[in-house]
Amino acid sequence: MTPTYPKWTPSHVEGVWKTTMEMFNKRKDVEWYEIGVFDEKWQPVNFVTSYRLFNMPYLSHVKFDVYVASPDVAIVEYICSKSKLREIREQKTMVSSRVCSRFK
Amino acid sequence: MRKLALLLLVVGVANAADVPIEGTVQSRCTIDTDTAGVYGNPNAYTLTTAPASGGVLPVTRFDVTLADAYYARVTHPSSFSTAPAGNATVTFTGSTEVQTVGDAGMSGYEAAKTTFGSSTQYDLTVAGSLWLKTSSEATNGGDKAFPSGTYRAIVVAECIAK
Repeated sequence: MTPTYPKWTPSHVEGVWKTTMEMFNKRKDVEWYEIGVFDEKWQPVNFVTSYRLFNMPYLSHVKFDVYVASPDVAIVEYICSKSKLREIREQKTMVSSRVCSRFK
Repeated sequence: MRKLALLLLVVGVANAADVPIEGTVQSRCTIDTDTAGVYGNPNAYTLTTAPASGGVLPVTRFDVTLADAYYARVTHPSSFSTAPAGNATVTFTGSTEVQTVGDAGMSGYEAAKTTFGSSTQYDLTVAGSLWLKTSSEATNGGDKAFPSGTYRAIVVAECIAK
């Protein structure tokens, strides 16, 4: 996820702010990522993106905008991407990854 | 002959073209699964990633391009994500430690790590790559044998901006 410290900018809709994020899939074993927006206590905050789940082939990039309502701009602390794992029939430990950018 | 060589040299120079390669390094953290873990089964009531017991330790790689901007946090499993029915109370233990550092400035990471519950956190004060290995062991209650079937557990690796 980049940037590390995103900033909000006004969107084309009054009362709605947006920020642009970019993701890069470095994991061969993962193709899907989910976006989440959280406050400082890790409680989910309502947001809108084109897709909440992104299909990302290995080494691909995706750029997307995240929109939140004005009252929520002040409380949003983190935007995170979380890997979505597929069920496999092997006796393995899997790694679930989450990368979070932070509003300062 | 000398004129021909000079002509070829001039033609060669005239055909040369600059092909630029551009790129930017943006501040970010990426997580990669270096090695998927595997549970070994040294006895009927234990599943472990310990290599001495036939297991494989999962290794997670963290890459950061901005120094002093992220925490790396790894949480070892406290339950199975997939398991056959019929297990007694399963006890999970585990730990995370540095396997390899990509920069000499990271040599103090292991000593400076903080542990809370089943999570281990590293302060990524240096830009570069870090490999963390995680051990996990599950013991079935009362030393009862695990029912046959597939067992899976999930290690959670997080990179959180400070």
